[in-house]
Amino acid sequence: MNPLLQLKNVRKDIGKKTIIHDLSLEVFPGEVFGFLGPNGAGKTTTIRMIVGLMGITSGEVLINGISIQKDFEKAIQHVGAIVENPEMYKFLTGYQNLLHYARMTKGVTKERINEVVKLVGLEKRIHDKVKTYSLGMRQRLGLAQALLHRPSLLILDEPTNGLDPAGIREIRDYLRKLAKEEGLGIIVSSHLLSEMEMMCDRFAIIQHGRLVGIESVQELSKQAQKVLLTVEPVEQALTVIKNIYPHMNITPAKQGIEVSIDYKEIPSLNAALVSENIKVYGIQVLTKSLEERFLEMTGGNEIA
Amino acid sequence: MPSILSLIQNENMKIYRRIGTWFMIGLLALSTLAGALIIKATYKEPKNWKAEVASEIKEMEAQLSEEKVPKMYKNHLEQQLKINEYRLEHNIKPVASNTFWGYLVDSADIIALITLFTIIVAAGSVASEFSWGTIKLLLIRPASRTKILLSKYIAALLFALCMLLLLFVFSAVIAAVVFGIENIREPYLAYQNGTVVEKNMLLYVMQVYALNCVDLVMMTTFAFMISAVFRNHSLAIGLATFALFVGPQITALLAMKFDWAKYLLFANTNLAQYIDGTPLVEGMTMPFSMMMLLVYFVIFNALTWFIFRKRDIAA
Ligand SMILES: Nc1ncnc2c1ncn2[C@@H]1O[C@H](COP(=O)(O)OP(=O)(O)OP(=O)(O)O)[C@@H](O)[C@H]1O
Ligand SMILES: [Mg+2]
Repeated sequence: MNPLLQLKNVRKDIGKKTIIHDLSLEVFPGEVFGFLGPNGAGKTTTIRMIVGLMGITSGEVLINGISIQKDFEKAIQHVGAIVENPEMYKFLTGYQNLLHYARMTKGVTKERINEVVKLVGLEKRIHDKVKTYSLGMRQRLGLAQALLHRPSLLILDEPTNGLDPAGIREIRDYLRKLAKEEGLGIIVSSHLLSEMEMMCDRFAIIQHGRLVGIESVQELSKQAQKVLLTVEPVEQALTVIKNIYPHMNITPAKQGIEVSIDYKEIPSLNAALVSENIKVYGIQVLTKSLEERFLEMTGGNEIA
Repeated sequence: MPSILSLIQNENMKIYRRIGTWFMIGLLALSTLAGALIIKATYKEPKNWKAEVASEIKEMEAQLSEEKVPKMYKNHLEQQLKINEYRLEHNIKPVASNTFWGYLVDSADIIALITLFTIIVAAGSVASEFSWGTIKLLLIRPASRTKILLSKYIAALLFALCMLLLLFVFSAVIAAVVFGIENIREPYLAYQNGTVVEKNMLLYVMQVYALNCVDLVMMTTFAFMISAVFRNHSLAIGLATFALFVGPQITALLAMKFDWAKYLLFANTNLAQYIDGTPLVEGMTMPFSMMMLLVYFVIFNALTWFIFRKRDIAA
């Protein structure tokens, strides 16, 4: 499969400072790809370079194999994006804003505008001025303008910023659906690992403008985990576990027992407990451990 | 790729969907009305226009008989003299401010107001996209920056054209109502190839309008440049209006001392100086000024384009 987006040794200098260091990655059709990094890591800068808002100091960005620098109009045709906050013309209505962007690409009909409005759930307010919108509604309108021209690459900088939990879930499900069913490549950025986990197939960890690593969510969740066991009786379970795994890090918690264990080992631990007649009510993989791993990789909360 | 027409349509939507624009149009109508009412209230009809023209002729003859009259000024005096003589001979009253045509000619001064409004619109059309943050969504469409810039520039000039038409219509209607249209058949007297000819008044009014538009186009282009370079609305408006109102005075002062003042923009914006006046610096001609205007025009636009095309959008 040909990649939708290719970054080849992309570098950005502003003044004497290097903001992005030789970043290379590929995004394929049908996947949701995350940019994960703390504040100031360079996520937005990278996105600006991909969509041609910022020049590239060295390296290359290819969209569908077309260079954004050499052939901007052709390369950008199939890209829909939100860069940072979705700022719209506040003195226009939501509909007029969409009309504005519709006129800038060939082949977006009135029907398509209405379709997208429905899709992001703004039917009731679309003819109101944008200045009367809440942040979440503006975010939805931002998504609408990015989808208008049926892009094959969708780039969303912190798309869930300002949305309520229902809205976050809605967008997450919708993005997954777009990727699965229509084969879009989608890039989302975030500083929240939990969000990456729920939305993405793969994500790049960026820190201080460098690529720290690319992780697959599926793989990651299989690595060493903290698991919360809800068992009864607790004392007996503790002895059983200590017997099988003498070196294991065990912490009794309020809700049960927390153990650090390899993903693959979970079934055998469960089997051991059950065979000792311990009642196992729940085995819960704690995402907190992923968060810890992320902090470990990025060196804590330090801002670039 | 969008056509330039749909881009202009977008810019128009952004201009005319704002209250401020309609405020400007209202202000224009109001100024036109106020101007007419003030003239109506204060204008004093000369008792005997023939006597007045005759005394003007005497004065001019006296001036002409003096030695050391600059050649350019002398030509100008001679032309006016001939026209005045023609008036007496053919019984054609001078165009007074309190007539239909007189007011239309006077209303061309209101073009300065239109220039100010167009500066505001042109400066805003680039700078505001930056301050609103909408520039990011605007520039990630399959339209080159050159095309987007051009559409904004054209939309600003279309706005000016629209305002000029409105000014003309407003002043014609107001002049007709306030001053009446009895003198509508009056001709305009011009001096051509050694003789005085009667010309259509409407054409003359249009000529006056056109000459007043030189400032408008140049200052709009200047404001557009400042706003694209500095991305700052107030700075662009401030610099352009300052230049508009103070530039000519400073240039005139410099022109008294230095010959090179003729290369300054404002030495060349007043093309009327070649038609019924004397040039600022001796030796300046209409083709020279046109050439200078073209040079400034190209420089302003080239700078705007060059800087906007490559700049990083970090707003
Ligand atoms: N125009 C600029 N001039 C100088 N430095 C800049 C400029 N824009 C961004 N930077 C720097 O580049 C780095 C990356 O910024 P960027 O906005 O890409 O971060 P981010 O990952 O999007 O952060 P956040 O999560 O806060 O949105 C920061 O250190 C920032 O200070
Ligand atoms: Mg950011």
